[in-house]
Amino acid sequence: MRVPLVGLLFGTAIGFVLAWAQLTDPDVIRRMLLLREPDVFFLMGSAVAVAAVGARLLKATRTRALVTGERVGWSVERPRAHHVLGSVLFGAGWSVAGTCPGPVAAMIGQGRLGGLFVATGLVVGVVLRGSLERRRAGPAPRYETPATAGL
Amino acid sequence: MLLARCPWYVAGPLLGVLIVALRATVNKPFGALGGYIDLVDNASAPRRIGFRGSLLAGLALGGLLFALSSRSFAPSFDYARAGHLLPHGTAVSAAVLVIAGIAMGFGARTAGGCTSGHGMSGTSLGSPASIVATLTFFGAGVATALGLALLSGGGR
Repeated sequence: MRVPLVGLLFGTAIGFVLAWAQLTDPDVIRRMLLLREPDVFFLMGSAVAVAAVGARLLKATRTRALVTGERVGWSVERPRAHHVLGSVLFGAGWSVAGTCPGPVAAMIGQGRLGGLFVATGLVVGVVLRGSLERRRAGPAPRYETPATAGL
Repeated sequence: MLLARCPWYVAGPLLGVLIVALRATVNKPFGALGGYIDLVDNASAPRRIGFRGSLLAGLALGGLLFALSSRSFAPSFDYARAGHLLPHGTAVSAAVLVIAGIAMGFGARTAGGCTSGHGMSGTSLGSPASIVATLTFFGAGVATALGLALLSGGGR
């Protein structure tokens, strides 16, 4: 029960920052993808840089996670065709909507209810893909990716 | 005061620190897509919704808190014009947004992550799959935006 609560708290903090930085504004995303404004590229780049250093520090110091007690660690994944194919589709949808799965939630919370249309589509897409995977017997793309994909 | 846009050099490192803190607290990545999967899979038994669904719910709550604290909470269905690429008319642009959402949901689940899971968490951990996915969706996103802008006459 404590882990979901931690998720809620961190989600709230992250959602606040996403809204504050206007990543919940489709026009900001649009300007980035039209290569007219570099801010979001810098934002993501600096977030990744800080997270990369921090994660390695936690691992090097053999830190145990505060709430779960497990040793901090993760596994990485080799690229496969489904990563590319899925991301092409994802990138196209991202560009048209001007938002993506995280920011759209914060957008809706902010009162920009047009995001509900995108979220509805997201749920439909996630369900479609899920049922397709279930219907496929055999070694379809696997998602045994405990840490990296962050599903 | 909070209405001013938080500059990237504050928001970016702040998000990085939050991702590290999440790792240090529960050893889990930040990823939004998993929240949708968690909610969908447990729609009939909401008590089973776990970390990922709660994180997604938190994102919405954070957006609400921002809107309230910046006194900008004014619910409306107006969608940003998004560079005038979305068609006029509520019903048509709503349909376009749903279709874009389907593409994102289907695509991200196929790819095993989205802008947060692959783009921020996975790349920061040096996962080759996440780096490939991120380069791909940035490439596809830029190509789509530029292509649509060209088609719609400059997209101003």
